[in-house]
Amino acid sequence: MGDYKFAKDKLAEVLSSLGDYQVFAPTPAGDVVRFLEVKDPAAVTLESANSTVPPKELMFPETETLFKYRLGDTGLDPSVPDASARRLVFGIRPCDAMAYTIVDNLFSWDFTDPYYLNRRENTTLVGFACGDPCANCFCPSMGGAPASEKGLDALMFDLGDTFYVKTLTDKGDAFAKAAGLDAAGDAESKAAEKQAEEALGKVKRSIDTAGIPEKLPSLYDHPFWEQFSDRCLSCGICTFLCPTCHCFDIQDEAEAFNARRARMWDTCMFAEYTVHTSGHNPRPTRKERTRNRISHKYSYFPEKFDVIACVGCGRCINNCPVNIDLLDILEKSKQAEGKEAKTA
Amino acid sequence: MVDLKELQDKAKEVISRDDVRRLIGWQRGTYGFESAPIVVTDASDADKLIFDPTCVQNPASFITLEEKRPVPRGQEPDTRKVAVMVKGCDSRAIVQQLVEKAYPRENVIVMGMPCRGVIDRRKAAALFGDVTPDEVKLDGDKVVVSLNSETKELARGDILADKCMRCRYPNPLVSDELMTEEVEKWGADEFADVDEFEKMSPADKWKFWEEQFSKCIRCYSCRNVCPMCYCVECVVAKLKPQWTRRSTDISENAAYHVQRAWHLSGRCIECMECQRVCPVDIPIMTLNRKMTRDVKEMFDYEPGVDVEAEPLLACYNPQDPEDYIM
Repeated sequence: MGDYKFAKDKLAEVLSSLGDYQVFAPTPAGDVVRFLEVKDPAAVTLESANSTVPPKELMFPETETLFKYRLGDTGLDPSVPDASARRLVFGIRPCDAMAYTIVDNLFSWDFTDPYYLNRRENTTLVGFACGDPCANCFCPSMGGAPASEKGLDALMFDLGDTFYVKTLTDKGDAFAKAAGLDAAGDAESKAAEKQAEEALGKVKRSIDTAGIPEKLPSLYDHPFWEQFSDRCLSCGICTFLCPTCHCFDIQDEAEAFNARRARMWDTCMFAEYTVHTSGHNPRPTRKERTRNRISHKYSYFPEKFDVIACVGCGRCINNCPVNIDLLDILEKSKQAEGKEAKTA
Repeated sequence: MVDLKELQDKAKEVISRDDVRRLIGWQRGTYGFESAPIVVTDASDADKLIFDPTCVQNPASFITLEEKRPVPRGQEPDTRKVAVMVKGCDSRAIVQQLVEKAYPRENVIVMGMPCRGVIDRRKAAALFGDVTPDEVKLDGDKVVVSLNSETKELARGDILADKCMRCRYPNPLVSDELMTEEVEKWGADEFADVDEFEKMSPADKWKFWEEQFSKCIRCYSCRNVCPMCYCVECVVAKLKPQWTRRSTDISENAAYHVQRAWHLSGRCIECMECQRVCPVDIPIMTLNRKMTRDVKEMFDYEPGVDVEAEPLLACYNPQDPEDYIM
């Protein structure tokens, strides 16, 4: 594992030299930044605090074909799409890389999901440390940091005229070699360390999560949820833009004789998420749905996998149109008086 | 300017009435220029109510958003009234809901908030970044923002929402009581944005919408925030049979947005909430405003301004144009 660097004005050159990889990087379209496949290196931006849509979509796309089949054929000859391309995600923020390590638990749990896991396996993650965290970032509270290395193969730092690249795994080294990066010295690694420390001090918001996973089940019927759910729109912003939310629906789609089985993002914030075939809905109002979102992240998931399903990226707070603030909910949950625990 | 104490006292009085169940208004948000809607059910929470240029959300949306639980056997449903604070633009939603007989007039108490404009948070973020202001107020032709013990004066157009700059209804069109004096109207709407858009060739228009709709993640925040999208079951949520596929692609996304625009023609009251809430910046109102202008030009009809009006698609006039019949 080594120390490398490249001049900032060589960014396009570095991206172009990664021909062996399918490269994804933050690309703006108006005010919206998404991780798109790099077609034109000049379109890539590393200026935005973070992408609007998290790079979870690179491992777990909004909609993906599981297999295709033909209607009316006897026997099924499903053709599974090829996902063996060697990919590289350039400029992923440490929180979003850490999110993959959390979601891995789910996709390799009772059923090992080949679609997600193949992509994870074939992808190199080149992170980009945050020098200037946003107003609602709270990654340190979730075990991350603006320069966390968790889940990354390499980590880049913006040192003014140059990018300093610290490789962390063999995949990271392979990237540095492919990109033909120059060797860096002590000066760069010291500057990066200093920047990391300063950035940590700039994170404004925090939450002490101790006790929350155990407490939430005792608040199952508590009225405190209503001060948030009363104004909730029950839309999918908070969950779709969450790097750890991973719920999906599976549907068959047919056109004439050609059909496919596809899976697409789903969210517990939609009323139809829990509707039974009978028409009965066990989560009839936004109170139950709001409670589920928070409880899944902060109680059910850690109960099963020993890690809270949140990385503190702040997207759910930044994008909520009615200012439902996750940290506000968690603080209020600590103040609320619980009843004897009820299971979910 | 609204006297906050007076407003909160009035709200306390209203929510304390035996025949009032909940009161919907605004409260301070948790960061930046954010405000948040608040549903007050207890007089002790009335002190949280605010009214200033950060109060962007349309409280009328929350009247129809409320989901009622089934009433247990032997119990009577709670039929007490809902009180709601509305700006001029918000009030048009109530007018249109009443026109459509979404609920009887006596079910709502409308507290009118004459308004001189609200902040566009994207403009505010571009100007001030992550900073949380101490106070935002309108002073004559200026918006005065106090932050970090500094006071900044801005031209209204620099920070207020675009809809406010062409606002024709700053005073509520329906209300039981106005909380402040009426304000003078300043805006006019010539649909310059629609004119501009229509200059594009059909091919360019399609390219534009293809790019915009491709971004859509189908979170349905535009539909859910819309005070006029209050169908018990939305056509895109229908599962038996399924009318619109769940998968996100240009075809399904376009189907959703075009369906919604059609369902809102002659009904959209232009509160612009759909466009404000979109996390991927789709200019949804460009579609809706095109429909609004067509409806106005073809049928001389404007939704949400007259409680006595009939819904556009429920009335017929022999003079209606028939240009579309070949």
